[in-house]
Amino acid sequence: MLEPESLITEDNVARVKDLLATMEAGDEAGAKEVLDELTHIRESDIYQEMGKLTRELHDAFKTFGMDDQIANIAEHDIPDARERLKHVIDMTDKAANRTMDAVEESLPICTGMETRSSDLHESWKRFTQRDMNVNEFRELSENLGSFLDANTSDAGKVRESLNDVLMAQDFQDLTSQIIKRVIGLVEQVEDKLVDLVTMTGEQYGLADHKKHEKSGIEATGPSIPGLDVAGVVSGQDEVDDLLSSLGF
Amino acid sequence: MKILVVDDFSTMRRIIKNLLRDLGFTNTAEADDGLTALPMLQGGGYDFLVTDWNMPGMQGIDLLKAVRADEKLASMPVLMVTAEQKKEQIVEAAQAGVNGYIVKPFTAQTLKEKLEKIFERIE
Repeated sequence: MLEPESLITEDNVARVKDLLATMEAGDEAGAKEVLDELTHIRESDIYQEMGKLTRELHDAFKTFGMDDQIANIAEHDIPDARERLKHVIDMTDKAANRTMDAVEESLPICTGMETRSSDLHESWKRFTQRDMNVNEFRELSENLGSFLDANTSDAGKVRESLNDVLMAQDFQDLTSQIIKRVIGLVEQVEDKLVDLVTMTGEQYGLADHKKHEKSGIEATGPSIPGLDVAGVVSGQDEVDDLLSSLGF
Repeated sequence: MKILVVDDFSTMRRIIKNLLRDLGFTNTAEADDGLTALPMLQGGGYDFLVTDWNMPGMQGIDLLKAVRADEKLASMPVLMVTAEQKKEQIVEAAQAGVNGYIVKPFTAQTLKEKLEKIFERIE
C-alpha cells in the first residue's frame, strides 16, 4: 500500500496562509472557499485509500480461487480421487491373489515331480550298476514311460500358471496411471494451500508455527526410502543388531 | 503346533500361511486384527502367534501386551511381522516381550531363521 501524500506541501501551506489572511480580513466567503478546498483534499485521500483496499480485496478473492476451481476440487476431484485409489487397492489385491492362486497350484505339481524323479533315480542307479533282474527292468521301463507322460502334462500346467502370474502383473501400468493423476491433484491442492498460507500467514503468525509432535508410539506404516530417515532401521539386519544390543 | 496369523491384509496372511506350510507348519488359523485375535487365543489351542503391528481395531503391539498380561497366554511365543521400522517401535516391542521382529518386505529365509531362533530359545 502506498503512503498517503504528505499534508505539508507548498500548496497547502499557501492555502493555510490564505485562510488566515481571509479570516483576519473578515472575508467570510473567501475563508469558506479556502476551507472547502482543504477539506476536499483530505477527503479525496480517504477515498483513494478505500478504493485501493477494495481493489486489493477483490484481487485477493480472485487469486485465492473464489473462482470455481477450489469448489470443484472439493466437491468433485477429491471424492473422485478417493474412488480411484480404492480401485488401485482392488486391482493390487486381485493381482496378488491371482498370483498366489497360480503359485499354490504349481507348488504341489513341483513336489510331485520331485518325488517321482527321486524314486526313479533310485531304480536308475541300480540299473546302471547292473543290479537289476528282468522283471525289475520291465517295471523300471513302465515307470519311465509314465514319468515322461506325467512330466509333459505337469510342465504344461506349470507353464500355464507362470503365464497367469505374468498376466496378473498388468495392474502395474493401470495403477501407475491412476496414482499419477492423483499426484497431479495433490499438487493442485498444494498450490492452493500455499496461496492461502502466503495470504494469511503473516496475519496469523503461521511463520513460527510448530510441527505437531506425535505422542507415544504410533503406527506410521511402511517407511519410504529417502523420506523417512531419522530413527528408522533400513532393514532386517539393523533390526537384528538393535535387538541383540537389547540382549535378544 | 497351531499358529495364529494376525494381519489386516488377507494377501499378507495368505503369504505367511504359505511360507509356514512350506516350513512344515500346516495347522494355522487367521485373524484380521487384535480384537478378533485375542478371544481366539483366549479360547485356547494356540501355541504360537504371528502378528502385524498396524491394524484397525486393536494394534499388534496392544495384542502383544494383552497376551503378556493374560495369565494363560503370557508365555506364548510372539513373532511380529510388520512394516513398522522405527527404532523406538522395535524397542517398545522388545520391552513388551516380543520374541522376534521381522520387517516387511521379508524373505522366506528370514521367517525360517527367526522361527528357528525362537524355538531354540524355548527348548
